Parts: sequence; structure tokens; C-alpha cells
Amino acid sequence: MAHDHHHAPDLSAGNLTGSSLAMHARNCGIAAAAFLGFGAWNGFRSGDTAHFARTYLVCMMFALAICLGALFFVIVQHLTRAGWSVAVRRPAEALAQNLRWMWVLFLPIAWMGWTGHLDELFPWANLEEMAKISPAEAQLVANKSGFLNERFFFVRAAIYFVVWGGLASFFWTSSLRQDRTGDPAITATCRKWAGPSMILFGLTITFAAVDWMMSLSPAWFSTMFGVYFFAACVTCGYSVMTLICLRLQRDGQLKGIITAEHYQDLGKLIFAFGVVFWAYIAFSQFMLIWYGNLPEETAWYLPRQVGGWLWLSWALLFGHFVLPFVFLISRWPKRWPATLAAGCVWMLVFGFIDLYYLIMPHVPHDLGEFANYREFAEKHASDSPHLGDPTLIFLAAGVLALVLAMTARSLKGKSLLASRDPSLGESLAFQNM
Amino acid sequence: MTTLTTTQTETKTIAPARLNCLLAEFENPAQIMAAAEKVRDAGYRYWDCHTPFPVHGLDGAMGIQRTILPVLVFCAGAAGCTTGLVLQLFTNSFDFTVWAMVWVTGYPFLISGKPALSIPAFIPVMFELTILFSALSCVGLMLLMNHLPRLHNPLFTCERFRRASDDRFFISIEARDPRFYRSKTEAFLKSLGASAVEAVVED
Repeated sequence: MAHDHHHAPDLSAGNLTGSSLAMHARNCGIAAAAFLGFGAWNGFRSGDTAHFARTYLVCMMFALAICLGALFFVIVQHLTRAGWSVAVRRPAEALAQNLRWMWVLFLPIAWMGWTGHLDELFPWANLEEMAKISPAEAQLVANKSGFLNERFFFVRAAIYFVVWGGLASFFWTSSLRQDRTGDPAITATCRKWAGPSMILFGLTITFAAVDWMMSLSPAWFSTMFGVYFFAACVTCGYSVMTLICLRLQRDGQLKGIITAEHYQDLGKLIFAFGVVFWAYIAFSQFMLIWYGNLPEETAWYLPRQVGGWLWLSWALLFGHFVLPFVFLISRWPKRWPATLAAGCVWMLVFGFIDLYYLIMPHVPHDLGEFANYREFAEKHASDSPHLGDPTLIFLAAGVLALVLAMTARSLKGKSLLASRDPSLGESLAFQNM
Repeated sequence: MTTLTTTQTETKTIAPARLNCLLAEFENPAQIMAAAEKVRDAGYRYWDCHTPFPVHGLDGAMGIQRTILPVLVFCAGAAGCTTGLVLQLFTNSFDFTVWAMVWVTGYPFLISGKPALSIPAFIPVMFELTILFSALSCVGLMLLMNHLPRLHNPLFTCERFRRASDDRFFISIEARDPRFYRSKTEAFLKSLGASAVEAVVED
């Protein structure tokens, strides 16, 4: 529905290939090596391997969440046969294809399993040790050993990485092949496989969240935990892919191709999934447990409500929901690059803090010694999150730089736009009503 | 004035057909876009465009300002949220008496050992009322601001106008517009490249 007032966007090679990507790949690569190296050195130096392993797990889940969020974006665009998003799909595909290599980040955990130290992270890996601390809890977890045992744990991990790598690879290579052949049948194939892909995606991230995050407190369970992690994926993934689009345009590429209209829709998605949906899920999980008031469920929230953790919980409520809700609800902050970038960075930081909140606290083993909540809160008043921990900050910055370096490297020399997608025209002329 | 006299004693007066608007027909979206900009710049206020499908950019060409509906809906949502909170605070958390058509008293009731004032328990109702107030006010205010429902429009008497839902694009300028002069407006519309200009009468 193009009209005369619309100037045809520049589809020349100069506008579609990133001259700055080699530089970004190099800079981010160097930063990733330096940050990860320093973070690892600092973590080993501290001597507290259990704490270091958890800190590393937060950062690994952060990197995974970013790439999985981008993979969800790609699948859902094909599933809904969306036309508007063609202009911004290639950066998402490039971000998602990093999942082919994400198994490397899992190697430290596999190494812990290989050397018999998995129980430093996952208490269910050593039931005898658990029984010494809390026999009742160990008995509960022993009943789950058909699922929570090391062998099956690593088999499942392998399945997740194969599925994610396969899905990301399929959409990435299909899209690149269409750049060369211009065959519209490729789009039809992607759409056909988007349905099964979405089912696989939903199952794998749910089980991965259960395995790697929920089983840190093996006696505890929440049926919403998988979808909670999905909300985290979308928060982090959409924020990063929007920032990549903004950066590519600031570098002088994709001029006139990604417009304020596309940014407004990306902002809407971040608002809808990263802000509102996250709040809906996080609150639903909290409210059901709070209302039911069963000790084996509330135990998970207890360490998150004492000392400094209470403040972190409030910070999440306001930083992940209330403030970005007020900020992103209007039209203009989503259309103006500076405000949208600020919103994305903010959501990425709070997406990370949310993962930290999900992973770091330990369910205390001394719950039985307290008569009531107040006694417990007084004893643990000095518990506090350590967001300033240099190991945490350097590892988080390191994995983020690593993801960006890998993304830039894969995009180098490729078209930044799915330039022969049959819906490209619709996307270029797209306007919000 | 035309007067018809029936054979009966009763006399009936029929007013002459009053002009409602001038209707100009255009062949394609590009033409109506260009024409709409000129009508806008000529300072007409009571006029409209009729197209078979949404034409992107036509709002701007017509000089239509952004609607304040979202702001009103936000206020309605906030009002719904507050209503949910106050309703539950009053009925569940306190026992004072107020007059709301009749005298009513709050009734603090112990539910699963929770304090009478438990915000987490109130949030689902606050959320639902926020959605309810927003949705109803959004639809209701949209109808109100568009002067709907309107069951009849004089344009529907025009045979030519039927193609507005098929393959023609129309601009109508209403006779009540302060700048409307039949001959001048008709010439103006013709000068915009209209393939036909027709007078629509009120029936």
C-alpha cells in the first residue's frame, strides 16, 4: 500500500552490509576475553567454589536468555506470518544462531559433574550430604531421583542444546539461503516448521529452567517456573536485539529500512512481554504460594524476603515493572532512539537482576529452629545480595560481550536485512495505525 | 416553496431538498492524498475522506490531530485500579460505616490467617477492574468521540457513493462548513482533479 509520499528505501549493498561489524566483533571479543578471564580469576581466587559456581550459573543463564529470547522472536514471526518484522528479523536470527555454540558455556557445569562436584551447585547430586543437614528434605528429594539424577540431567542438557542449536541453525541458514536464491518457498518452509519449533522451544526452555534454576532448591516446586524463565528470556532477548538494531543504524547501516514504526512495535513487545507479562507471571507465582502458605513452598520466598533481599524484591517490583510501565506506555519513548535505548538497557539490567534473584539465594536449612517468621527474619537480617561482587559484574559483562562478539562475527559480510523475503515490501511500508 | 394540495382538506408543505454536502470522486489513493492536503490547507473544517481501505498517511494529509483517547483510557484504568483497592480496603479491612445510597459497614473477616489488610490478595481484583474500566471506556469513548452510533448518513442516498467500499475514493465537504459556497467549493473540488463532483441532499 505504498503511496507517493513514501521514498523507496536504499537497498544497495552499502546500506545492507555492516562495515563496522569487524570492529565490533574484535572489540567485543577482546572485552569478553578480558572480562571473563578476570571474572574467572577473581572467582577462583575467592576459594568459595559453591558461590562462584552459582555466580557463573547466573551469567550463563543470562547469555542463554538473550539468545533464547531472540530465537522466540524469529519463530513467532514465522508462526504468525508477520510481515512488519522482516526489516528487523536478521539481527534476531544472528543473535539466536549463537545457540549453536552455547553448549560451550555449559562445559564448566559438565566438568563439575565429571569431577564429582556437581553437589556444590545442585544439592540433589549428593543425597547423603543433604540427609545430614535435613533428613526430611532429603527424603522428599530422594523421591525425585528418577528425574533428578546426574546421568539423566546431562542427557537432558544435551537434548536442549541440540534442539536449540538445530532450531537456530535452521532459521539462520534458511534465511541466508533465501538471500542468495530469492526462493519464496523457503519462507513457506520456515512457516511450516514454526509450529513444531515453537512446541520444542516451549518444552525445552521449561525443562531447562526446571533443571538449571528450580532444582537449585530441589525440594521446592513451582509449576510457573518455566514460563517465568520464558519472561526473562523475552525481556533480555528483545532488549538486546533492539539495541543491536539501534546500534547498526547509528553506525550508518539500514538507513530508512528500520523506521520509528518498527521501533515502536519492538518497544510494544518489550512493554508487553518484558514488563507486563513478567509482572503477571512473577506475581502469580508469588500470590499462589503466599495464599496457600504451605511450608515447602514458602521456603523458597523466605530467603528472598529477609535482610537486603527484601530490598532487592522491592527493587524488582519497581525496576522491572512499575517504572518501565510508566515510561514505555506512551508512544514517543518507543519511537525515539535515545529513549528506547535507555528503556532497553534498563530492562536488560533488571532482566539480569531478576535472574540473580532467582538463582543466588539459598533456601535455609535451619527453618525448623524458628517459631515464626519474625525470629527467622531477625537471625537473617544481615543476609544481603552482592550485586557489586566483581566476579558477578565481570562475568556478566563478559558473557554479554561474548554474545555480541559472536553476533557481530556471524553478521560480518552478510546482509543485515532479509532482502529477498517475500514480505519485505510490506515491512518497509509498515505504519502503525 | 412548492406547495402540494391534496384532494382532502389537509395541506402539506414539502421543503426543497436541502444541500448536505458536495461529494468529489477520485480514482486512486495518490489523487485523494494530494487533494486532501489542499482541502486541509484551504481551511475547511467539516469534511471527510471515504476510502475502500485504510490509506497510510491520509490522517496527516487531512490534518487530523492525534486522539486523546489513550490518555482518557489510562485515566479510566487508573480509576478502575483505585476502585478495586478502595472497595476491598473498605469491605475487608476496616469496619467503619459510610453512606453509599444506604448505610454500609465494612466487615473484616479472617481468611486463612492473613491480615485484614493484605494487598497481595487485593491485586487480582484491582487488575481485573483496571482492565474492565479501560476496555469499556475505550470502546464507549471511541463511539462517543466518533459521534456513533449513527444510523443514517445522507451520503447513503448517493448511488455513486456505493463505490466507496469498492474502487473509488471520495472527499465530502459539508454545507454547514463556514467556508462552504456551493459554486466556489464545487469549482475548487474540480480543480483538485476530481473525476466527478456531485451534490448530496438531505432526505
